Amino acid sequence: MKRFAVGVLLVFLLCFGFVALGNTQETKIKAGFIYVGPIGDFGWSYAHDQARRIVDDTYPWLETVYVEAVPEGEVEGVIDRLINQEGVDIVVTTSFGFMDGTFSAAQRYPDKIFFHCSGFKRAPNMATYMADFHQVYYLNGVIAGALTKTGKLGYVGAFPIPELKRHINAFALGARRVNPNAEVLVRWLQTSWYDPAGAKEAAESLIAEGVDVLAFTEDSPTVVQVAAEHGLPSFGHYSPMYKFAPNFVASGQLVHWEAIYFDFFAKVYAGLYTPKNLGNVDYWWLLREGAVELGADFGMPINPVFEDQLKSTIVNDPVYGEISVYDLVFALLKAMADPEYAFSPFTGPIRDRKGHLRVPEGVRLTMDELITMEWAAEGIVGAWPGEPE
Amino acid sequence: MSTIGFWISGVVGRTLAYSVPLLLSTLGEIYAERSGILNLGVEGLMSLGAFSAFAVTFFSGNPWLGVAVSGVVAGCASLVHAFFSVTLRTNQVVSGLALGMLGMGVSGVLGRDFEGKVLATTLPVFRLPFLSALPGFEKHNVFVYVSLGLAVILWFVLFHTRWGIVIRSVGENPAACDAMGVNVTLVRYACVFFGGVLAGLSGGYLSLGYRPSWSYGMTAGVGWLAIALTIFAFWNPFWGMVGAYLFGILYHFSFRFQAQVSPELLNTLPYLFPLVALSFVSRLAARRKVGPPASLGVPYQRGSS
Repeated sequence: MKRFAVGVLLVFLLCFGFVALGNTQETKIKAGFIYVGPIGDFGWSYAHDQARRIVDDTYPWLETVYVEAVPEGEVEGVIDRLINQEGVDIVVTTSFGFMDGTFSAAQRYPDKIFFHCSGFKRAPNMATYMADFHQVYYLNGVIAGALTKTGKLGYVGAFPIPELKRHINAFALGARRVNPNAEVLVRWLQTSWYDPAGAKEAAESLIAEGVDVLAFTEDSPTVVQVAAEHGLPSFGHYSPMYKFAPNFVASGQLVHWEAIYFDFFAKVYAGLYTPKNLGNVDYWWLLREGAVELGADFGMPINPVFEDQLKSTIVNDPVYGEISVYDLVFALLKAMADPEYAFSPFTGPIRDRKGHLRVPEGVRLTMDELITMEWAAEGIVGAWPGEPE
Repeated sequence: MSTIGFWISGVVGRTLAYSVPLLLSTLGEIYAERSGILNLGVEGLMSLGAFSAFAVTFFSGNPWLGVAVSGVVAGCASLVHAFFSVTLRTNQVVSGLALGMLGMGVSGVLGRDFEGKVLATTLPVFRLPFLSALPGFEKHNVFVYVSLGLAVILWFVLFHTRWGIVIRSVGENPAACDAMGVNVTLVRYACVFFGGVLAGLSGGYLSLGYRPSWSYGMTAGVGWLAIALTIFAFWNPFWGMVGAYLFGILYHFSFRFQAQVSPELLNTLPYLFPLVALSFVSRLAARRKVGPPASLGVPYQRGSS
């Protein structure tokens, strides 16, 4: 009888074990997303969340959760909670400022996968990714250079970090391609990625100084709205901001984070990516990969309101000769989206505003040089914290 | 207009427009605290006001209805605080903080679907006769004029009318007021309600006029600033107005002078300078023995003191 009981117990345990095993094989992958802003910001965090929804809806084996408006210093505690209470397998952190917290959590949870956006620290279980806008900003600059009457373009930036410096430089280089005397006046918020009041006052102070076209990096449509109040063209950032000012959003930068998420999650699911082999996994996706798009709205590269003006503005381009700005934008767009990557905005010769030659003739900056960029291009006016001598 | 005139009008105009939410909510908090009730929920009330104004305007297409609703909603919400702190005599700090968190939470959850939405109609800008001739006053949202006028009126009411005496007395010595036949409970309820209305309106201005948009967290700490400013202004609407505009002008300068002065230093000025300026005022006030209302934060119970 005793032996029978033990036998029953054994069978029972075995069954249970198999059920449990079967379950783990069928278990979904659970990913937790951490956003720096509120998902309603209609900027950076909104775009990440839109992508999260798309991959969640598409992959039946993927389950996602998210935490929004996380202060950059508190990311580790949120990661702990996602792993210990939510049981996530993959942690996606979507702000540069989350880098150190994510890196240190990656050391503490060696069997979990970490996916950090816009940073440069990697580990066997921590990969990085970025959909970069420098090409799109260059095209926005070309458009802005043709639209300005005062020759002064305004840029509201959240923080003076390499990412923004690269984007502002690209914007200035693009503008000066069609308008060699154009200036880009820069104002920094240095408070938060999401600071509508700061963005509003920064944009107003730029307009008071004669700026008549605005671009920005801040996670709300505020700058677009301020520009429209003054009847000035602007460029949307991260999300389709066309609807906030249909007559004034000339173009903008749009992102498709889902392109990267689709690829990464599928590779994790297929077992190609494990917590042991991510040390060199770094997505740096651009126009070519379809991770970014030029446009005021999806499928609208240039707002039709500005089409005539851009078509009738003829410039003498060093590469394309006599060409309308409208055609130039599409020619450059084609060259950058090309599989061979036929053109880079950061092709020499390029001098910084102090006169140093930063990119020699015929040389193209590498990704490492792009993501550590600190110098300011010619034509940029205003404070530039961290500017090299 | 000359360059300098253009410059001045830009600075004054931005200061007036930016300072409105801080000024309105400070004025409201001054009245609540003058009656003896500390309300730490201003931030949450502002957020409720901003959200409800946006939601109502979104559906009705009428921003004026939105403005009215923002005041009523936040005013009614602040009655919760009044009920706990006046009627139930609970700790005002706890009840105020709870109300603030509730306001943030409720507006955040209900407001989710309104984030990223565009309003068809927003608050218009006006030109006022005579006033628009002044540099910086050319044209503004009606809130700009109303808040400025309200500061003066509320200062006058508080120090030069019978109502003002009643409110201040209730905050200083409710027992004596009670003995004189003043309805302490009613005065405190009314002042807290009024403070809530002003906090709600300042939120409504943010979501319908200043931005105009709604998103969670858009009040960005202005409600907390209002509580600090109330103290530094010595519970006086006039100094509240001075402090709010001082903050506004320095905030504007922090962007205006970035090309000349380090942005990091400029960012601290709006917070630092009013402190310094108002500490001078406070020395003056100390000499004249002006302090917080004696019964601020103390629940009143008949016969207990």
